[in-house]
Amino acid sequence: MEENLNPVYKDKAYGQHRELSYSYGDGGTFEKTVGFHGEADRLILQQAWDLFHERIEEARQRVLAGKASPVVYFMEKNLLDPMNLSMMAGISLWRVKWHFKPGVFKRLNDKTLQKYAEAFNITVDQLRKIES
Amino acid sequence: MVKLAFEHRQAGHCESGVTRNLLNYHHFKISEPMAFGIGAGLFFSYLPFLKMQHAPTTSFRVWPGQVFDRATRELGVKTAVHTFRNPKDSMDKLNEVLEQGYPVGLQVGTFHLPFFPPEYRMHYNMHNMIVYGHENGTYFISDTLMENLVEINYEDLMRVRFAKGAFAPQGRMYYPTHVPARIDIKPAIVKGIRKTANNMVGIPFPLIGVKGIRYLAGRMRKWEKKLGEAKASYYLGQVLRMEEEVGTAGAGFRFIYGAFLEEASTVLNQPWLRELSFEMGENANSWREFSYLGSRNCKKRGKPDQSYDFLADMLIEIANREEKIFKKLSTIK
Repeated sequence: MEENLNPVYKDKAYGQHRELSYSYGDGGTFEKTVGFHGEADRLILQQAWDLFHERIEEARQRVLAGKASPVVYFMEKNLLDPMNLSMMAGISLWRVKWHFKPGVFKRLNDKTLQKYAEAFNITVDQLRKIES
Repeated sequence: MVKLAFEHRQAGHCESGVTRNLLNYHHFKISEPMAFGIGAGLFFSYLPFLKMQHAPTTSFRVWPGQVFDRATRELGVKTAVHTFRNPKDSMDKLNEVLEQGYPVGLQVGTFHLPFFPPEYRMHYNMHNMIVYGHENGTYFISDTLMENLVEINYEDLMRVRFAKGAFAPQGRMYYPTHVPARIDIKPAIVKGIRKTANNMVGIPFPLIGVKGIRYLAGRMRKWEKKLGEAKASYYLGQVLRMEEEVGTAGAGFRFIYGAFLEEASTVLNQPWLRELSFEMGENANSWREFSYLGSRNCKKRGKPDQSYDFLADMLIEIANREEKIFKKLSTIK
């Protein structure tokens, strides 16, 4: 493989594949180049991931404080919003939002929990507690 | 086991790359910009009511699947398209078609795609790739985003083909079944250009085409007051991500469309299209400039020349230019 790494990333796990892009030069011709994406692309991607991580951490704190149910945490962890979660789990949107309350979540039956667990790709036991 | 002699070539945009690679396999030589242009892939829409990753959706392309559908229809290529309810059925059908000797295009979700670059791993259900063989539950994949060929196992492939959420692929698979020996490409190009021009300037609805760009500019001026600095910056980032990120070949497909116009002018022997391709290139460069300044803004280096007003002015300028280009293009014969 290529020895040269993408210089704009500090973490070598990211940004290490080369993609094809087009450009327009002074001569009036369009050219194809294969290369890493640059600093501008890294910035806007980083912005999205920063927001996701922030939201995940915030959700975790709220769940630990007993203000939200684990569904909220796993929803953020899977980069979902309530709309997408309801589509994935096959549960209506207002019920999904209702299950965000910790008290309601505790009384959920196994069938519903199983639906959430499948959507998050985890087991029901993992869904019940988030500390691990 | 099957492994077709498939030639993998990288492409800027996943769907037109897949279209090109599939047609090339059937001995019809076509370039990626050509496939994109005939498929009328260029578009603009800004949908503030449809949130994607916590920000309004901006799209620089048409509905997924349309590029392949349009391009093959205009070229007179016969195709087969299937969607499924049952994941098991879809995999059986895939094996069957591969054994008949056809490479197959698939629409997949990217979140669970194991070989996908980690920084792009978000919920996006409109990615396209080609399967060209399988052996003992391993499938051989040609993904136009990647430099090299990749592999995926049965369970993972089933999961990505049945990714849920917005624009769920439902196991959509498509492949050309019969490519005519002689294809007249000229009428297809003219029709593709007309369709794109109509999409951009002909539809009387404020959120799409050139009007959509102006609408976005108008909204952008109010973001900072309305949403606060952090959220406004994130909204701007979302526009840029849609424009520059994976699968647009840069500047929201404007470069690739310029390359298409360049090629079309020689095929149709109409020199004025070449002039327009210069315009389109300049236009693409201003989009690039816009995204560069925008990304500086996202990094919170709030200089006056990167304010939302300035960026919105830039968008208006781009919209005016694109209106001129597409008005001219709509007169093509």
